[in-house]
Amino acid sequence: MNFIDVVIRQAHPGADVPAYHSFEQKMRDAESYRQEDGIGWPVLVDDLEGTTHQVYGGLADPTYLIDADGRVAFYNMWTHAPTLHEALEELQQQGWRGEVKGGVHQTPHLLPSMTDGWKGLRRGWPQSFIELETSMPGMASGPWLGYQLRPLLAPLTLRSKPLPPSAKLGLTAGAAALLFLGVRSLRSRLAADSGRVRARNKR
Amino acid sequence: MQGDTPKEDLATRSTETAQRFVTLKDKLSNEEYNFEHFRAKHLLSDAQATIEKRGIQPGEMAPDFELARVGGGALRLSELRGKPVLLHFGSFT
Repeated sequence: MNFIDVVIRQAHPGADVPAYHSFEQKMRDAESYRQEDGIGWPVLVDDLEGTTHQVYGGLADPTYLIDADGRVAFYNMWTHAPTLHEALEELQQQGWRGEVKGGVHQTPHLLPSMTDGWKGLRRGWPQSFIELETSMPGMASGPWLGYQLRPLLAPLTLRSKPLPPSAKLGLTAGAAALLFLGVRSLRSRLAADSGRVRARNKR
Repeated sequence: MQGDTPKEDLATRSTETAQRFVTLKDKLSNEEYNFEHFRAKHLLSDAQATIEKRGIQPGEMAPDFELARVGGGALRLSELRGKPVLLHFGSFT
């Protein structure tokens, strides 16, 4: 098994991490990336135009599993460790050849980026934060908050294997209960407010 | 494979990836690709690419490329034939 990381364009530029204007600049960031994240496998640097990245689809964070013959066995469009774990197990059972798990997995899983998304984003602070948060509220502040709560959340968000079905069921039930309680308290607050308005109107 | 850190990019060498890039549809210009500011349109184009399943499809041969390697030298994808490869693309930010 070989692991390869290809460093692509600046996803969230900032003062210390501006958009790339030279290959040397990209190589320097790739060196920091390998060092800071402690990556023990080859880190490659795409050219300035993003030739390899764009030919391979141009997405922000994809992973390909390539089989022993050099064919794409699985395309995880938004890298997700538990999904890859399952795909790898299947590929191994097939003797490292052929397609696995339906071939393409399109779903973005937001849970891991809730605790780990901040790692990349903070390098471009504050520009990276402001630009992402205004593009989609919660996408930057969420990971910031998640990063602060990392010791608490990591066992849940940074799993390398899928959660057992019972845990998924429990989490779904928990989320549904929270939603129900939230809606109920909101409705009773709204009812109380409109009651006050009516009382004021009478006077 | 080890050597001096390459001072130039290598993807432009005549690999299948470089040849495909020439005729790639939805290809971005250098300025569009290396944007200075992240905007909602970048989220939208990622969403569109996801829906369209843009990229190399399962069953296809992974187009060969040769890229500069951190620490020196270069690596060609086809050198790794015979063993499975986990190929991840990611940004420093």
